[in-house]
Amino acid sequence: MNTPVKMVSLLLSLCLLLAAVPLAFAESSEVIDADLTCTITLGNWPPDTAAEAEKALFEGYKATMAKQYPNVTLVPDYYSYSLSNYVPMAKGGTAPSIFQPPFTDPQLLISQHLVGDVTDALEQFGVLEQFSPSYVEMLADENGRIYGLPRDGYVLGMHINIQLFREAGLMDENGLPIYPKTLQELAEYGQIIREKTGKAGLVFPASETYGGWLFTNIAWNFGCVGESALEYRDEDGRWVCNFTSPECIAAMEYMRDLKWKYDILNADATTTDWAGAHTLLGTGEAAMNFAADDSVDQPTSNKGLPVEDFALIPFPAGDAGRYALAGGTCYMFAPDITADQGIALMAYLKILGKLPFLDDDIIAGMRADYAAKRDRGAPVLPAISAWNDEEYNAAKQAIVDEYCNVDMRLYADFFDSLSEGTITLKSEEPVFAQQLYRELTAVIQRVITREGADVEKALRQAEESFQEYLDDEINDI
Amino acid sequence: MSGQKSGLPGKTGETLKSWLIMLPGLILMTFFVWEPLFESIRMSLYKTRNVELVRWIGLDNFISVIGKDDFVQALTNTFSYTVWSLLLGFALPVLLAMLIGETRRGKGFFRTAVYLPNMLPGLAVIILWSAFFSGKESGVLNILLGHLGVPAQSYLTRSEWVVPIIILIATWKGAGATALIYMAGMASVSPELYEAAAIDGATVWHRIIHILLPSIKKLAGTLLILQIISVFQIMYEPMVLTKGGPDNASLSLMQLMWQYAFGGSMNYGKASAVAVIVTLILLGMTAVYSYFNRKESDWD
Repeated sequence: MNTPVKMVSLLLSLCLLLAAVPLAFAESSEVIDADLTCTITLGNWPPDTAAEAEKALFEGYKATMAKQYPNVTLVPDYYSYSLSNYVPMAKGGTAPSIFQPPFTDPQLLISQHLVGDVTDALEQFGVLEQFSPSYVEMLADENGRIYGLPRDGYVLGMHINIQLFREAGLMDENGLPIYPKTLQELAEYGQIIREKTGKAGLVFPASETYGGWLFTNIAWNFGCVGESALEYRDEDGRWVCNFTSPECIAAMEYMRDLKWKYDILNADATTTDWAGAHTLLGTGEAAMNFAADDSVDQPTSNKGLPVEDFALIPFPAGDAGRYALAGGTCYMFAPDITADQGIALMAYLKILGKLPFLDDDIIAGMRADYAAKRDRGAPVLPAISAWNDEEYNAAKQAIVDEYCNVDMRLYADFFDSLSEGTITLKSEEPVFAQQLYRELTAVIQRVITREGADVEKALRQAEESFQEYLDDEINDI
Repeated sequence: MSGQKSGLPGKTGETLKSWLIMLPGLILMTFFVWEPLFESIRMSLYKTRNVELVRWIGLDNFISVIGKDDFVQALTNTFSYTVWSLLLGFALPVLLAMLIGETRRGKGFFRTAVYLPNMLPGLAVIILWSAFFSGKESGVLNILLGHLGVPAQSYLTRSEWVVPIIILIATWKGAGATALIYMAGMASVSPELYEAAAIDGATVWHRIIHILLPSIKKLAGTLLILQIISVFQIMYEPMVLTKGGPDNASLSLMQLMWQYAFGGSMNYGKASAVAVIVTLILLGMTAVYSYFNRKESDWD
């Protein structure tokens, strides 16, 4: 090829390339609403110490928002929600426009008028009807007004450290762990692991509210549902606490056996919290941990357990049921947001891929998210969607398949149990769940630290205390 | 009259000047101490919805709080913290101060060394000691005792051990600072007294009993009441180390107050009631101390 031809070819290529650039970014640079003018502060912005990939991801969201809504000012805020720090901020008018509480708190925040209503903004985006009804129930008031959006849903199962299962000889011929399918098997396998490895069969975070939280799922599987539910509403509409049903007593006796009969619990169970439990599993101090699909990065990428030595299994069944607690984290909004801010916030969540929309930006966002997960060594797994939108869910699954970095056989039973309905999903106890967990945690602490503790008496005391709390807070108002 | 200065007459001027000097302090005290204190008392008498006062309910918050098992447990624990802190932590700073005072070489080094734990952030200290008392086989104390053939123990899950352990940690952190105050007090004792005692043939023990301890008695009394007030408000140590457990065995009154306010129920009325109760108990203790202190001064 002679020089002039080379030059022409080069120029043509350059022209084609320059022409292609605007096409590639046409979607993201398109102005959607230039008239929308407001400022929103964005809680949970990645701190300076966050991974570069994560920071770049959020900067990308910000840039896209600036293009689509040029007159909306985004103010990053490192705020991380806790009930204690949020209340004074909400009352003082300094809460960020958007923040991320767990699903235990929305009803409390809504009843106390500490969060903003986004129903009209959701309607404007046309997604109101696509909410999973169970999530709507968690995030709405009694008039059906919506105050939050699901960030991600989770289902409680069990995390497995395969290294310890291997050491204990609990592996099948296909190289997969032989895991407990029932609570009885959990106790027995835990005992084998303790004997063979000297490590805890089960890490149980029995501190603060964590112990009670996990115990509710065990109690459901012992039959604490329906007429034997831990809390229910009587015919007069009063909330009643019921910790002394035979089912609940049996569940607490099971907790006692885990410590005193099978001796499978971690040493400092009463001081172990959620993060501590993940640490113990990730560092090989415990073989099993009741945990959900949304925290698989904790023992793996955060604590160094290789993804090939990690498995996620369904919550073990009890004699009277096979339930798994479903919950998650949501987005909620400051109580004083304006209508324009509501729309801007929905636009931001749309860019984050948290609304059921599909466009190039959202798909790019999903890809970036899964790529970041894969890069930091966290398992890339199918997400449990909170939206009833088949097209959206199918597209998301296709992207997950592309980035998947794990042997899905180690997760298959967990996800199959959800899709095939062999496990029943159940949301947290309906009222004042955190206080209920605190009361039950105290009972758990008593039975696992005192061998001769009177289980029924301890449960009765907790029942009386929580009943008084219910009367104070809800029945006698 | 021509020689008289213009402005306010002498005494009034002095008074005004004094008030002006005090004004910034008074303003700060009003907004940051007295107003929150008053609000807390007011809130304890109301049914609350987060920080809003819904309706006046008199002493109902107090009755409800006091009638609960966890309050009785927290009150007992708080007194237990106080007793353990006096057993473990009251004499130690005096001893440290005396030992350092008697040291001939490296006094500066020892002064810095005993104060060092006080310079560490409180949470870091707790995390450090939680590794020491960890019930795992890799816990530092378990490793040390393992060499003596003692099997691994779970120290922080034993209800009878948690309070002394927490006080031990608090003493480790705080004793050095108190020792420095005692050393300053001891330094003010006239050397002539020691010289006279030495001429009379007094031993070290005699010097301590008859000169040193009487001269720091008033200081010790003040530090005692400050220590009781401080330990009575213990919160972050049990909160971080044991989270109040096991089975509320380390739950303190201040932690109970925190639980009412921020532990999920947002009941600021009951939280304020606990705070007022703690304040009343401390006021009572301080009054008793002041009474005996005054009586003793009268006897002197």
